[in-house]
Amino acid sequence: MNSADTTLKHYFVSHGQQFDAAKLGMWLFLVTEVLLFSGMFVAYAVYRSWHPDVFLHASELLDWRLGALNTVVLLASSFTVALSIHFVQKGENEKVVVLLIMTLACATLFMLVKWIEYSGKFSHGVFPGAGYDPMGIIDGKDYSKYNIPFAPQFFSIYFVMTGIHGVHVLIGMGLFGWLTTRVARGHFSPQYYTPIELTGLYWHLVDIIWIFLFPLLYLI
Amino acid sequence: MAFFMAHSHHHIIPFRTLALVFGVLLFLTLVTVITAQIDLGVLNVPLALAIAGFKAILVVCIFMSLKYDNPVNMLTAVIGIVFVVVFLALTLADTEFRGYMGITEPAGIESPAP
Repeated sequence: MNSADTTLKHYFVSHGQQFDAAKLGMWLFLVTEVLLFSGMFVAYAVYRSWHPDVFLHASELLDWRLGALNTVVLLASSFTVALSIHFVQKGENEKVVVLLIMTLACATLFMLVKWIEYSGKFSHGVFPGAGYDPMGIIDGKDYSKYNIPFAPQFFSIYFVMTGIHGVHVLIGMGLFGWLTTRVARGHFSPQYYTPIELTGLYWHLVDIIWIFLFPLLYLI
Repeated sequence: MAFFMAHSHHHIIPFRTLALVFGVLLFLTLVTVITAQIDLGVLNVPLALAIAGFKAILVVCIFMSLKYDNPVNMLTAVIGIVFVVVFLALTLADTEFRGYMGITEPAGIESPAP
């Protein structure tokens, strides 16, 4: 064992063992993340089963084209992350830098679309909770017709779920920015790339949450 | 020592596999958008969730490499899903059997049904 190798902690026998331990820890964290979101998914299930027509009707105000665009953007970012791990395993770090920057670009685009959606809703009085007062006409839809009982519940759930998901995207952007500089500084090799692997797992989970949010909020 | 070294070789998922999964994920997104435009009655929600579930399985198994991983990670993920199912099932077992919840008039809420 090379004593100059600072990436292997002394309490691990090998890089393989250290990698497996870190990955198991990340999976345990991801379970807590799933449970955080499942609380909101359960709230969605309960309120939808109580007021199915209201949910169906209120979701018409969300633009499925923007939701679909964001789905494609996030799937593309998951692909670039998976590829970045593929290439760091092969030691081709120049490609890893490019792929991580592409991931950052996708995440930025996702947040821009989210910003367009949120500001569009706010400008027409669609706020979460008691502030809900829809007005105006977009795409031939008269928003004032959506001032119906329990519609605010749908939008409270929409803003909280997409909002907390958006916070996760922002955190992921910070992590990828940090990783990009570390790859450029030559911190990673095929033997040691654990931070990229773990951030990748986190990012794929954020993608999976959106895979469920998109049909539930925009389509059905 | 051999036991600990057993996992030190990372499985490199081929570029082709990753690209194929990405293609299937995009295709399924298209399918869920198209099927959502058609009214399938009671099947609307289960179909959309089935497609989303299949997409999630693809991401977990290939992108998150659970298929190639130490099985203890798969166990952790499955336990997490079991927790979610228990959470959802027990909550709905309560909320689905509370009777009519559509009263919006203050009088209706304040005076309980006889």
